[in-house]
Amino acid sequence: MTATSTAALAEATDSAAVPRRWGAPLWVGALLIVLTFLVIYPLLMLLFGALSDSNPVVDGFGKFRPSLDHFLKVLANENVHLAFFNALAACGGGTILAVAIGLAFSWIVVRTNTPAKRFIAGASLIPLFVPPLVAGVAWSILGSPKTGLLNTVFKWIGIDFRVDFYSMAGLILVFGIYYAPYVYMFTSSALQNMDPSLEEASEVAGASAFTTLFTVTFPLIAPAILAGSLLSFVVMLGIYGVPAALGAPANINVLTTYIFQLTAWSPPLYNTAAAVAILLMMVTAILVWAQQRVLIGKSFATVAGKAFRPRSLNLGPWRWFTFGLALTYLFVVVVLPTLALTIAAFRKFLFIKDFDALFDAKAYGWFHFAQVFDNPLTMLSIWNTLKVGVITALLGGALAFAIGYTVTRTHVPGRKAIDLLSTIPVAIPGLVVGVAYLWAWIGLPGGLYGTIWILALAFVARFIPDTVKALSTSFMQIHKELEEAAWISGRGLLSTIATIVLPLARPGVVASMTLLFVLSIRELGSSLFLYTSDTTVMAVLLLDYYEGGNIGKTAAFSLVQTAILAVLLGLTNWLSRGAAQSSARVG
Amino acid sequence: MKRRSVLAGLAGAAASWTLPAAAQDEFGSKDLVAAAEKEGSLTYYTANFAEVEQEVIKAFNKRFPKIKVAMVRAPGGQIIQRIKTEAAAGKLAADVVNHSDRGLMKDLEDLFQDYTPPNAADYRPDALVSPKFWPGVTLGWALAYNTELVKNPPKTWMDLTKEEYKGKKIGQVVGPSGGTTWTRVMFERQVLGEDYWKKQAALQVALYPSGAPLSDALVRGEVSIAPLLYNIIYTKIVEGAPAEAIFAPEGVPIIPYADGITKTSKSPNAAKLFMNWRLSKEGQTFAIKSLGNITSLKEPPLFPKGWDPKIIKVWVPKFDEFEKLRDGWLEEWNKTYGYRQ
Repeated sequence: MTATSTAALAEATDSAAVPRRWGAPLWVGALLIVLTFLVIYPLLMLLFGALSDSNPVVDGFGKFRPSLDHFLKVLANENVHLAFFNALAACGGGTILAVAIGLAFSWIVVRTNTPAKRFIAGASLIPLFVPPLVAGVAWSILGSPKTGLLNTVFKWIGIDFRVDFYSMAGLILVFGIYYAPYVYMFTSSALQNMDPSLEEASEVAGASAFTTLFTVTFPLIAPAILAGSLLSFVVMLGIYGVPAALGAPANINVLTTYIFQLTAWSPPLYNTAAAVAILLMMVTAILVWAQQRVLIGKSFATVAGKAFRPRSLNLGPWRWFTFGLALTYLFVVVVLPTLALTIAAFRKFLFIKDFDALFDAKAYGWFHFAQVFDNPLTMLSIWNTLKVGVITALLGGALAFAIGYTVTRTHVPGRKAIDLLSTIPVAIPGLVVGVAYLWAWIGLPGGLYGTIWILALAFVARFIPDTVKALSTSFMQIHKELEEAAWISGRGLLSTIATIVLPLARPGVVASMTLLFVLSIRELGSSLFLYTSDTTVMAVLLLDYYEGGNIGKTAAFSLVQTAILAVLLGLTNWLSRGAAQSSARVG
Repeated sequence: MKRRSVLAGLAGAAASWTLPAAAQDEFGSKDLVAAAEKEGSLTYYTANFAEVEQEVIKAFNKRFPKIKVAMVRAPGGQIIQRIKTEAAAGKLAADVVNHSDRGLMKDLEDLFQDYTPPNAADYRPDALVSPKFWPGVTLGWALAYNTELVKNPPKTWMDLTKEEYKGKKIGQVVGPSGGTTWTRVMFERQVLGEDYWKKQAALQVALYPSGAPLSDALVRGEVSIAPLLYNIIYTKIVEGAPAEAIFAPEGVPIIPYADGITKTSKSPNAAKLFMNWRLSKEGQTFAIKSLGNITSLKEPPLFPKGWDPKIIKVWVPKFDEFEKLRDGWLEEWNKTYGYRQ
């Protein structure tokens, strides 16, 4: 019996070895081809546009006269400089605020005995799911210098203070509060994984809790703080909705709004837009590179080998203060904007003379909702969005799984290239990516253009980095021993993946597909050029309402979109819990 | 009761089956209508607002319920980019294109087929730039104000340079935002005087990227006064918004759109019928009455509220100047108003 099983094992290894010799290069090659199609080819089109004054589809490659002149002209344009520095100021300021909030939050949630911590932790992630345009519109209703609801309230109370969110300060504030969750996500896990003995040593040596926090705790998780802040900076840099709603009234342009204007003016200046986009990409690429350098450091600095529980600081009565802080943040970031949107959605006209006018019941009704649902495009867009979301989540999830597995679990040659290619899209701003995809894919045979699939492909390409990142962490948690055990008992690679890796990584897979689903529902920039009359999506329709100057319908449709997102998130949360439970059983 | 409803149904069916002979001539021959209904659908690209065009489609479908109109809407520059790229790839989906910028459309003339509506002779010659393009939509600039905030409303274009409206009270759509605004900018300089921009810019005008957000800002009270395309504010006034709009005696700059049928149209008959209806007296009357449009018909079937044809004259830009002066003047406009492009 032993002899038989040894022979069987040898046979199994043998038969596995032959396809593996060819299988690995073939597999890597296939992945590289897919990524080239999804990432490199559109990117080349973008470069082509930035370095010439022609449209590659209309003029053909024959007319391509590569020249740096065009690009240099853009670099020398003082309006580009201004948009560039505005973007740096808004995103830089926003990042600093996001770090302050995110860090405070992770400390409150992980290291203190503040009441209702789990609720705070969950609720503090809500801003991640709010489409930027919706956030921008909500804050313009709240914070406009002349008609803002906040100012109306101040006036009523008799306070002389007035806020003006149509300003750089307003942009920074809104960026800061909405992107704090990115910092929170990074720093909270670092705080959780940190060895508390160093803090204890500090306190034994006589340092106060406060001193310890700033001299030991935060420096120890500095790499995580840096990584989180770089990520939030990069994300802010690519956001269009917030600066469009708050910056435009004050004539403050950032790179994204500038790019959008270049494509909306008539005549449109696409090649200039492409050149500005390349500039944006270079900044982002440098930051992403810096972030990855920092992330490499992170694993050395904070993860210790021994088991421990993170210390929980007893704040005494102060825990009600931290609880109050958390509630204030949630009030500002969730309650206030939702209230503003609700008022705008149910009020016929948003002219509010004074505080009392807010309570005039006659001014409220379902008009905007009735009009929104009277528009046949509304239901079509909801249906299309769901379809695109599902396709994107499935395709993108599968691709991310393939990439994540290859990069983190194997040693095949070429995996570094795959890793690099799948990170590049982070650096491409969504607004211009749409043009690049249009240029790149419209000429392909097979009628891809004009279908839901081209939108889904664009989303898959655009969000590969996010999905892969979300998945990789769950791969890292699965010990290699489990796979090795399967190989030794004669399973092939695919069978091992199917029976061991996939079930164990299922919560991560569901989570990353959910993320992809949410991101694709929110995505505007790359939809704008690829949708047709039959494939219009919610984000495009929302921009239509916004650009059509109807704040009531914009708000009503925003609430509809939010409600759909909430239902879907609840549903997937329930599903992934089921997945987690069943995988716990498998494990 | 049952019988009555059956009868009513029959009557309705009969009405939709047989158009009066006059109406048939107005919209096209019997054969055209039959061929269009056989095609059954068309794709309509527009740079106008989706909701407005949705109303147009609804009204068209009241007359011709068997033809489904699918709409693609995008801002002016983006829709042109799409048309160019799609056409180059041999995948232009549009049957009918509706665009405010006659200059940009003129550049794409080769993509469009020859077309003449039945009532071609009724149109102003200065509204036509090519035998292929017709002004299915004509918009005009009015002076709008928030009735709750402005006690002394402006009555003329020149009033918008008055000291009393200083300090972000006036909102303006930026010059380079498109063909409609460029028409207004041209009018201001050619009719109201070389120094009009300078005088107005001194009042610290609030700038907006396009007309629709500005009309919303006016209703909300973010600005008190704004020159606006009449159709953008008209529907809000009708719904009861605290706003009013007047036509100024110095002239009403109008923007005749350039609408055409593509050469590659897969539903050329439906496209023709759609164009015919929009250009017909019925279509234009609908647009004036329900949407707040103006018309390029020599003899308008009706006038908007407060429009006295003895006093108010329309102003149409000369097309060669519309093209020639554009870049230089817009650059000056940007400088004068401190707008960064």
